[in-house]
Amino acid sequence: MPPPRTREGRGHRDHHRAPHEEETPERWDWNHPETRRLLEDTFFRDEEYIRQGSEECQKFWAFFERFQRFQNLKTARKEEQDPGPPKHSIPALADLPRTYDPRYRINLSVLGPDTRGSREPGRRLPPERVAEFRRALLHYLDFGQKQAFGRLAKLQRERAALPIAQYGKRILQTLKEHQVVVVAGDTGCGKSTQVPQYLLAAGFSHVACTQPRRIACISLAKRVGFESLSQYGSQVGYQIRFESTRSAATKIVFLTVGLLLRQIQREPSLPQYQVLIVDEVHERHLHNDFLLGVLRRLLPQRPDLKVVLMSATINIALFSSYFGGAPVVQVPGRLFPITIVYQPPEVEPATAKSEKLDPRPFLRVLEAIDNKYPPEERGDLLVFLSGMAEISAVLEAAQTYASHTQRWVVLPLHSTLSVADQDKVFDVAPPGVRKCILSTNIAETSVTIDGIRFVVDSGKVKEMSYDPQAKLQRLQEFWISQASAEQRKGRAGRTGPGVCFRLYAESDYDAFAPYPVPEIRRVALDALVLQMKSMSLGDPRAFPFIEPPPPASLETAILYLRDQGALDGTEALTPIGSLLAQLPVDVVIGKMLVLGSTFHLAEPVLTIAAALSVQSPFTRSAQSNPECAAARRPLESDQGDPFTLFNIFNTWVQVKSERSRNSRKWCRRRGIEEHRLYEMANLRRQFKDLLEDHVLLAGTEAPRPGDSYSRLQQRRERQALYQLKRQHEEGAGRRRKVLRLQEEQDGASSDEDRGATADQDSCDSVDIQDVKFKLRHNLEQLQAAASSAQDLSRDQMALLKLVLGRGLYPQLAVPDPFNSGCKDSDQIFHTQTKQGTVLHPTCVFAGSPEVLHTQEPESRASDGSRDDKDKMSSKHQLLTFVSLLETNKPYLVNCVRVPALQHSNNVYDRDFEELGHVIVGPEGYTELKVQDDFLEEWRDLRTKGRVPKGWRWKGQIQTSNREQGRGLQEQLDPGADGVSESTSHHILSLFPQVPYSLRRLTGLEVQNLYVGPQTITAAPSLPGLFGSSTLSPHPSKGGYTVTDFLTYNCLTSDTDLYSDCLRTFWTCPHCDLHMPFTPLERITHENTCPNAPQGGSPGAEEADPEPLQKASALQRPYHCETCQKDFMFTPTEVLRHRKQHV
Amino acid sequence: MASEAERRPQGMFECQLCALSAPYSYVGQKPPDTRSVVLLEESYILKDPFTADRDKFLVLGSRCSVCSRLVCVGPECSLFYSKRFCLPCVRENIAAFPQEIRQDVEKRKALAKMPHVKP
Repeated sequence: MPPPRTREGRGHRDHHRAPHEEETPERWDWNHPETRRLLEDTFFRDEEYIRQGSEECQKFWAFFERFQRFQNLKTARKEEQDPGPPKHSIPALADLPRTYDPRYRINLSVLGPDTRGSREPGRRLPPERVAEFRRALLHYLDFGQKQAFGRLAKLQRERAALPIAQYGKRILQTLKEHQVVVVAGDTGCGKSTQVPQYLLAAGFSHVACTQPRRIACISLAKRVGFESLSQYGSQVGYQIRFESTRSAATKIVFLTVGLLLRQIQREPSLPQYQVLIVDEVHERHLHNDFLLGVLRRLLPQRPDLKVVLMSATINIALFSSYFGGAPVVQVPGRLFPITIVYQPPEVEPATAKSEKLDPRPFLRVLEAIDNKYPPEERGDLLVFLSGMAEISAVLEAAQTYASHTQRWVVLPLHSTLSVADQDKVFDVAPPGVRKCILSTNIAETSVTIDGIRFVVDSGKVKEMSYDPQAKLQRLQEFWISQASAEQRKGRAGRTGPGVCFRLYAESDYDAFAPYPVPEIRRVALDALVLQMKSMSLGDPRAFPFIEPPPPASLETAILYLRDQGALDGTEALTPIGSLLAQLPVDVVIGKMLVLGSTFHLAEPVLTIAAALSVQSPFTRSAQSNPECAAARRPLESDQGDPFTLFNIFNTWVQVKSERSRNSRKWCRRRGIEEHRLYEMANLRRQFKDLLEDHVLLAGTEAPRPGDSYSRLQQRRERQALYQLKRQHEEGAGRRRKVLRLQEEQDGASSDEDRGATADQDSCDSVDIQDVKFKLRHNLEQLQAAASSAQDLSRDQMALLKLVLGRGLYPQLAVPDPFNSGCKDSDQIFHTQTKQGTVLHPTCVFAGSPEVLHTQEPESRASDGSRDDKDKMSSKHQLLTFVSLLETNKPYLVNCVRVPALQHSNNVYDRDFEELGHVIVGPEGYTELKVQDDFLEEWRDLRTKGRVPKGWRWKGQIQTSNREQGRGLQEQLDPGADGVSESTSHHILSLFPQVPYSLRRLTGLEVQNLYVGPQTITAAPSLPGLFGSSTLSPHPSKGGYTVTDFLTYNCLTSDTDLYSDCLRTFWTCPHCDLHMPFTPLERITHENTCPNAPQGGSPGAEEADPEPLQKASALQRPYHCETCQKDFMFTPTEVLRHRKQHV
Repeated sequence: MASEAERRPQGMFECQLCALSAPYSYVGQKPPDTRSVVLLEESYILKDPFTADRDKFLVLGSRCSVCSRLVCVGPECSLFYSKRFCLPCVRENIAAFPQEIRQDVEKRKALAKMPHVKP
């Protein structure tokens, strides 16, 4: 193919500014649309390198104009006629062109129109113009090649310059010789991006790299894909909870630790991987620590599996020795020198100890920077604070300072900010202005911001700790560890020399703990233990943790799981337990899901469970903004917070299906972070799939539109959505914006508005979240669920509350009797483990506590007292809550109010006395007492209020794998017991008028509540009463275990009222037998009455076995030495008995 | 992902001068999926990794027409003047090249000496 000939002597002169000079008959104008179209039709057809109408095509024309100008300038100079060198002896040099032409520098060629098959448009173009155009095109292509190659070369240079680059060979070599290698290197050494690529280059093709955070999986996969030149290929992928880019061709996958553990759960030997990289092990996350333990056990079984542990240079010996002295490859970090300034605040007067943080020490640093460093010297400031309250305290003060000096843009950074607001910290400040980022410890490891030169370290962190005794999470402020302090300091030296201001003394630093407390010592271990059980890892107490959790936490977790029926008496996993283990949620939420599906309330329960499993969707600004609060009010439910979330989700789905573009606005107006709602939708879908997998839910047949037309329509819509998604991904990468001074003063909502409009400009008004949402979910189905939720009947609602109450049990709180006389903020509640808890400020009841008060004007027993103490009412309520969180006060989070007696009788563990006396709670802490006048009625009703079998699942079923899933469902199916909506109606309509008192028992009362363990000679034998089930005495409480959640006759009563004289006349409704009965005799009759209807005899589960002797508070176990028998005797009886032997 | 399979890297290209290496998927003058563009030398080609467009290619390098060394197209390693020449060969035979090339090579030498532009 000969190089196309060019005639540059002429072409360049006649650009569009002087078309009339042109000798061609028509006016020639390069800018004319028609001209361009003709050329495009010729050169930029569909199959060509550049396509008409593409972005590239626009780029070309821009290049073209520049190129023309440039050519003009150049040829204005004298064109030198080089005579050329003499012919060369080397053949390659011999035939070099005699006359120099830039064209010879280009190693490619573009075919002319004639070689493309002469077409109409091409022929109408003058050949000189075509040549000129081709020449420009050639240069354009060459320019593109140079640019792309430049990027490639730069990329490789940068990779080679990373500190770790020199260690790549050594890492691979060590890995060849050992099964486990520890790679220790500080921030910036490049280990996270490079090690996977070294493995790839060495020929490994099944590499998994775990990350503690989802966001890191995505960004690392992107970066590594880019660096390994497969940005648009599929050899590098990521896999997180709801998203995966993994395919069969994927060689490296970045995934969360949690996800890898789930893979191990399914395939314990992890056959799909050759190499496992566990990144950030030094962070000591619960899952990471656990994974290390699992790996240590797995490695001997998989000698071919290689493991690379990657860590900062923190406590490396611990990891190395845990894996039998694994070799360590230590890589230096790339940090610039950092100056440390210790600047402890002056001792503040002890009296002025307010809860609010004093911002002055922080302002002093801002001032010092302003004074010392000229504004032209760029470099931003990162301030580490302990929590959100501290951030807002400093934010306020710093903003005032900033508006005064015009030299700072102050930005908060914490995890509850909206995603858009979080992204702002990556924007750049205008010249002469610095960013001041006020952050929680999120910026210590999770978020890396470039351009930081100054760091202020408050030395504090707020961390969640767990109190296994009180089963309570505590958010407390602590001094950080030395390791954290170093990490914070390091943030100042990533891009140049930096300064770190430590607002504490050097002696404080020396007193810091060397390392942070690992998460396993700070959190509840319920989920971990459950997962360990489901992975058949044996006794959790014997598991070789890298550092074992506190034994009390383990015991609490095991006990809790046993109480919840996930483990049986031998601590083996029950079928329900294995189901719960597969749900990626707290056990309480899991229970709710299982119960919900058995009670045909799956749809609403799915939504509620998902809502309770994500972060609160309410943005912080919305709390203080009265407009948001007002807009949100119609969505609030006075039943409780989960129902508010339920309403929000459902309404949002409606908004989406009606006018999807506006859902973002809809959320913003109500102070809702839409991202959380997307998460809810995803989670809901996952729950549903899991429940369907276990046949707890019938698979949903998607309502397929019948006719082919609408099917086609639907397919088109989906295709359009995919197209949008692709376009978005191609144009991906949020461009950095320049921040405005004073931006924050406007408040968050207007910021977001601005953000939104900017987004719309940049991505063609496509809400990519909305597109993804529509691709992932069947909006019609969701909408159907949402609208059916809006007309839940009263009974369904009540049943839903029963499900929630049962799921959340024993997380319930009793209102303080004096609440009704107190102001809103002083309302207190008592849980089993914690007295005097308060409602979280976001709780719906915090604003309207009166709905929790017992309002019954005709309270008879209270005699004019204004409180609810011992008040007889049929309307007492309990609060059931999702979590107990202690910050400055213990807060109840996500509460639901429930009718006390109904719930106590039906869904809670309880102990009974026949005398209208119910004690609720596993250890007994709430007492309900029915008013004497109503005893008869209560008894009567109580026997009807049988507990549906479905509420309980303990140890009934042997397996729950898919084949036997049906069995599980049958076992759980309340239908067998006839529980349905009407039953719930039946349950709830019980006790409508029975007045009772409700109170929390004091510690002393609880101690003396039970008769205590007794040695009883003979089990109560009332043949036929309980069928085959045998009653056993309760080991600690005394009395009898009727079912695993009901103990009868274990309460100490002050009077011995159980006697024959309590017989009352009663008529059997079935056989009309009329005679005096004791309660027990009556139940016995009911059970055996030949005329009683089939299908669950009344009282089968609650019937009370009459002990052989009359119960008496004075009775104590007595073992008679003489006759070698055990008795229950009062002291008098003992004397009497002894007399017999005399 | 069918095209993915077609584009399987054939091997690693490595520049014998600067050691730049990248997987190549085609060697020749007619890059796959491109009709209207031809190359004037036998080139090692990679699908352009910086764009999603499947037709875009990136020339990594080719053999020096004097010494047959495999060199990358980077300005520190080679130049093209109707053929590919590695810079050592150009310097050796600098007289064979026109004035423009000579100047250009001088310029590159100067650039390469500057510390921040690493070869």
